[in-house]
Amino acid sequence: MRAAEAVLRFREGVARFLKADSIVDDARTLESYNRDISFVKGGRARLLVYPQNREDVRGIVRAASKNKVPLVPVSSGPPHYRGDTVPSADAVIVDFSRMKRIIRIDPVSRYAVLEPGVTYGQLVPELRRQGFKLVMPLLPRANKSVVTSRLEREPGLIPKYQYDYLDPLLTLEVVYGTGDDFRTGSASGPGTPETLKADGVNPWGPGVLDFFRFVSGAQGTMGLVTRAATKVEVLPSLEELFFITSGDVRPLVEAMNRLLRKRVVDECLALNGANLAAILAESLPQDFAELKKDLPPWTLLVGLAGYQRRPEERIAIMERYLREICGELGLKARPSLPGGGGREKKVTELLSGPWRSEPYWKLRQKDACHDIFFLTTLSKVPEFVGVMRGAAERHGYPFEDIGGYLQPMVQGRGCHVEFSIPCGKDETARVKDFFIEASETLINEGAFFSRPYGPWADMVYGRDGEGAAALKKLKAIFDPDNILNPGRLCFREGGRG
Amino acid sequence: MDKLTDYRYTMKSCNSCGQCRFILGPMMKGWEYAEICPIHLRYRWDACSGQGLINIAQELLDGELDYEDGLIEHIYTCTTCGACDINCKSVRDMEVMDTILALRARCVEDGRGPLPPHQEQARYIEAHHNIFGEPHEERSDWLQEGIKLSEKADVAYFAGCATAYKHPDIARNTVRILNAGGLDFQVLHDEYCCGAPLWRTGQVEAARKLAEHNTEVFRENGIRTVVTACAECYGTFRGFYPRIAPPDFEVVHISEVVQRMLRADRLKLKGKLDIKVTYHDPCLLGRLSEPYVPWHGEIKSFGYHEPPKTWRRGTHGVYESPREVLKAIPGLELVEMTRHAENAFCCGGGGGVPAAFPDFALWTAAERLDEAKSTGANAVVSACPWCESAFQNAIDADKSTLQYHDFTGLVVRALEL
Amino acid sequence: MEKVMSLPKEVYQALLKVVGPENIADRPHILAALRHTNPQSGRQPPSPAAVIMPGSVEEVREIVRICNRHGVRYNAVVSMFGMGGVVSQPGMLVISLRRMNRIIEINEFDRYAVIEPAVRQVQLKAEVFKRGLTYPTASAGPSCSVLANFLTSGDHHTQQSSSRCSRYLLGYEWVTPTGEIVRVGSLAHGAGWFCPDGPGPSLRGLVRGYGGWGGGLGIVTRIAIGLDDWKGPRVLTTQGHSPDYKIPFPPDCHRVFIFKFPTLEKVRDAMTEMGKAEIGQAVLKFFYATEAVLFTVSANDFRDLWNSGLYQRELPRALWVYLAAWTPEELAYEERVMRDIVEEFGGEPVDASITRKYEENMDFFILVSFLQRVLKLGGGWSPTKLGADSIHHMFEVAAAIPEFFYDFIEKGRILDAPHNFQVIPMEYGHAAHIELLFFFDNQRPDWQQIPAEVMQKSMESDIRHGFHAATPPRVKAVMERLGPLYSNFQVWTNKIKETFDPNNVSNPGPG
Repeated sequence: MRAAEAVLRFREGVARFLKADSIVDDARTLESYNRDISFVKGGRARLLVYPQNREDVRGIVRAASKNKVPLVPVSSGPPHYRGDTVPSADAVIVDFSRMKRIIRIDPVSRYAVLEPGVTYGQLVPELRRQGFKLVMPLLPRANKSVVTSRLEREPGLIPKYQYDYLDPLLTLEVVYGTGDDFRTGSASGPGTPETLKADGVNPWGPGVLDFFRFVSGAQGTMGLVTRAATKVEVLPSLEELFFITSGDVRPLVEAMNRLLRKRVVDECLALNGANLAAILAESLPQDFAELKKDLPPWTLLVGLAGYQRRPEERIAIMERYLREICGELGLKARPSLPGGGGREKKVTELLSGPWRSEPYWKLRQKDACHDIFFLTTLSKVPEFVGVMRGAAERHGYPFEDIGGYLQPMVQGRGCHVEFSIPCGKDETARVKDFFIEASETLINEGAFFSRPYGPWADMVYGRDGEGAAALKKLKAIFDPDNILNPGRLCFREGGRG
Repeated sequence: MDKLTDYRYTMKSCNSCGQCRFILGPMMKGWEYAEICPIHLRYRWDACSGQGLINIAQELLDGELDYEDGLIEHIYTCTTCGACDINCKSVRDMEVMDTILALRARCVEDGRGPLPPHQEQARYIEAHHNIFGEPHEERSDWLQEGIKLSEKADVAYFAGCATAYKHPDIARNTVRILNAGGLDFQVLHDEYCCGAPLWRTGQVEAARKLAEHNTEVFRENGIRTVVTACAECYGTFRGFYPRIAPPDFEVVHISEVVQRMLRADRLKLKGKLDIKVTYHDPCLLGRLSEPYVPWHGEIKSFGYHEPPKTWRRGTHGVYESPREVLKAIPGLELVEMTRHAENAFCCGGGGGVPAAFPDFALWTAAERLDEAKSTGANAVVSACPWCESAFQNAIDADKSTLQYHDFTGLVVRALEL
Repeated sequence: MEKVMSLPKEVYQALLKVVGPENIADRPHILAALRHTNPQSGRQPPSPAAVIMPGSVEEVREIVRICNRHGVRYNAVVSMFGMGGVVSQPGMLVISLRRMNRIIEINEFDRYAVIEPAVRQVQLKAEVFKRGLTYPTASAGPSCSVLANFLTSGDHHTQQSSSRCSRYLLGYEWVTPTGEIVRVGSLAHGAGWFCPDGPGPSLRGLVRGYGGWGGGLGIVTRIAIGLDDWKGPRVLTTQGHSPDYKIPFPPDCHRVFIFKFPTLEKVRDAMTEMGKAEIGQAVLKFFYATEAVLFTVSANDFRDLWNSGLYQRELPRALWVYLAAWTPEELAYEERVMRDIVEEFGGEPVDASITRKYEENMDFFILVSFLQRVLKLGGGWSPTKLGADSIHHMFEVAAAIPEFFYDFIEKGRILDAPHNFQVIPMEYGHAAHIELLFFFDNQRPDWQQIPAEVMQKSMESDIRHGFHAATPPRVKAVMERLGPLYSNFQVWTNKIKETFDPNNVSNPGPG
């Protein structure tokens, strides 16, 4: 069956249950899904569908399975950066932005149940209103899907709340490539979601498998998530932010390690001058340039918190620990940001919600921004900063213009390292070469590209033949017709691994 | 005398928890020296452990296992050190060691055990009343002139076979200490083997005869207190003799005697010994030395024993007295091994193993010496002639620089006798 | 016993070539120790055909490949202290991993340890303590395999401030059921051991869900586990001799409290609030009869204590709190918060004699010697429920226990201890684990039926009420019957088993 014909039949199939305005074939709209900011290029979006509920999703998947039509799930609003929503072949886009109900916020057991279209911009204020806080990635765009962010194992700002790399994701409702729906962990049963009395906060199982892990980091290739539960935290009644600066990343890494292993701090992240300037600049380009010049090379941001009971007492003790640890390392924890021109409050505000203005902070310098990010241990962070510096020098890209972000994860047992390379229209080819070579070098040096988007997939799976073979077996079980975002990761013909 | 069938409850109750192989949790020190069962450490099979041996006992009782090739050797590889027993009883009401001993007795009863070297030892004992087949009349040849003996004393020094024939220095040192402390005692020229080698290899009827003989000798000589410097004798008097008849004599180890004398200022340790030592607790002086109290009753619901049973859990072994004495020696530094007191690792010298499996006995002693070396000590001290033989063999085989000292030897030096 | 099935001669010889004659056996007396009826399950397991002890991952792979070639079913084992038994079907090969017992690495800065299967709790715990570190320690006792507890059970008493063992499982090395070596997580391309998930979808989900496969999906030959900083002493200052050990911790930074509340709802709410306040190294509603067994030396001592009625008066609605802090000031702060909460919900201290036992012996909270100590009523012991969800849901589940439990008590089949359940919050109250523990009388002629019957009634109660307090065990018939109630998880579980173990040789289960 030719692709166009298959899509036509698919369309006939879904038209039986989707509303007319949930099926879109307008060329301009479809065109917007064909590329993103990344270097990934692919096929074309042939049709766009908007499911409203789980049954719609099941119907869409069954129709796709029957007609062998690839589906590309999209939950966040544009712009996209990773290439994971660019169809690798002609495909139907499944846009979850209309499934945006906050199904439940449970104040007692501290979790929220969300549909995939719920965004940070939507959820964070609602939680705050109810006295709760969401552990967020660094300044996500407001239209970013919370569920996608959790599924893709994006790092959060508060490492102490994270016990493994999937935390704070709890349970899922997922539709597999067979059209079967499934609920993970303690949402699995017994009985139906309506009769089940559990809160669905145990992510593990059911039985001997951690089903939620198969769908994580999968870029929609293993199943389409129609509902997810995530942890939420108590909104502190007192918070204090401190800045610790250094010309070298090493003492800051040591400080992060000591602070996290003692559970002293809540927020804990380090940014370099380029990133802090991009976040704090009032205006571009002058203010940005001045800030970048004045800000120290690296700033560690740590938040102390007191909760509902005796908050001052808690903060006093934690502040003492903070000062002791900094003192041991010859560092100073200040409530003010040196070189920040009195913008401490702005940092506090920014860290408590998503990025709301345009353009997105990573696009304030240039038209595009290419992120290289990976996981490692805190002890190896300085080494990888050096590797990246070396790659930048080789490619003539000023290292100080590259955004640097260190986000300890899992209580400091791991660290997300992210370099953001601003890219003008006229330098795409040069930056692409730099991006590819730096990524290869980092992988060779032992950086763990745990979420291998775009060109990283071949680099990663080419080194992990047995793992890729195991993943392919899993894929064949959950998506036997290979209709879920085909061509990603190791799931494509001719791909390495 | 107890029978294998008496230990059905133990066999049935085992949860295979593994406590019979590893050091007790509260005593943990690290990765090294965490195992306490010599046969399991050496061979690794589950069958080579307290658990495995009671599983075998149960299958033999139930007729599910035959006396196949290798079974008897397997049963007799165990050094009967009792580490499994004490570890198990730290948390359970089970009798692992007694089950293993009853299993051996059952093998003997069925005509399948013990192994030929043990049978030979039994023949020697039968003929000469000692395990080595040496002339009985030479049993007290270690006794030198100048030792003051009191024929009317109600205290007897019991040397035991290994001391009398193989380590006479221990005997000589012991009596010199007793003289120095002013204790009146006798040496009984008609002492027989205490019975340990027979009891521990399942030859209980032969062992009974020895116990009856020695008890009778004590009675005839008016002995109320028996002093020994041999851990095997000590543990046998306390652990085996009460199974035959209620004992009418007290047993005291030389370390306890010295401790009492020091506390009463009857001895003074003046001689300085610049030496760093570690003390090895002999199994039958330490964890297996508590007196056996016969129990006859019923095990009811949830394991309640009616009437209540007196358990031997290794709590009151002779751990402190040798240490207290050694620490009192000027210049002597005492350091502990990871596995000490009730957790001590066997020297390999018991249970009939040296006679039947000398290579394994040597391996076990070497493992223990390795632990002793890890403490930084330059000598290992113990209080048993069997331990001395085991360690000395291993030291000789390894050409080790580590020295071995018997407890009594160090005390005599410190007393400057 | 049924006749022991042996391996074909050529298979035995092929296996022998891999490990050498010292490390393989099929003599019946060696196998006797692998087929003992365990009093906690009551099931008489079939005999294995042989047992083999590989010394390396390469040897494990070769053994697995031979098994696949010849259709020999196998199961890997370390400690033998499992609930399900080692051998599920007659004629299996037991792969004993005891020779693989090395601690490969303890990384103090990045806080992880890499271990082989036969490293025991008593070994690793002491090694990490020495370095000021600790790890979630399942209460399985000193001789248990750390690796097995990270792959099979994994709940423990200090998970208020940490989590279940499975959360702390990092990279691992896995011999698949067909004999491929897969290195999972960051290990996949040489990036180290620190992360179990990725690249891409997480294969980590294959080895362990809520529970483990019990050897049903290959053999894990090395794992890394996450470590936490340890606030207690680096070397235990144990006093006394067995069984009367005392392990005191410095009291200015370590305190234990037990409070009784008017209702279980108040216990629940106090527990919830302590989670929200992020206090407590350990907070739990503990089994009260188990505690009585734990702190007595013999079955007779237990009977005396239990018959005194003290624990029944003081502990059915009690909350255990262990506060541990870096400084006395921090401890004092946590104590003030704790007392605020306790007062708010009407709690008051229990009899001091009960609390003192914990203060004198903190072994309970480091969980090195726990489980063996509660077996002393003849070993007739079994847990049920063992599920997790919110604190509130777990207490909802607990409230329904009497519905099915009293019948067993009234017939004298289990100990009269209806409140012998524990609820342990994890991750500062974000979830909780429930476990109902019962002691059965294995002197009764019907003792072997009791564990299965209690578990069945418990499961029926959960299903009736819509409680998620367990998932059906990996027993084919039960999974097929109940799986549809649990989102048809059996369908996917079976597909994964069939795909990864096409010859069905990796511990196929009891059928």
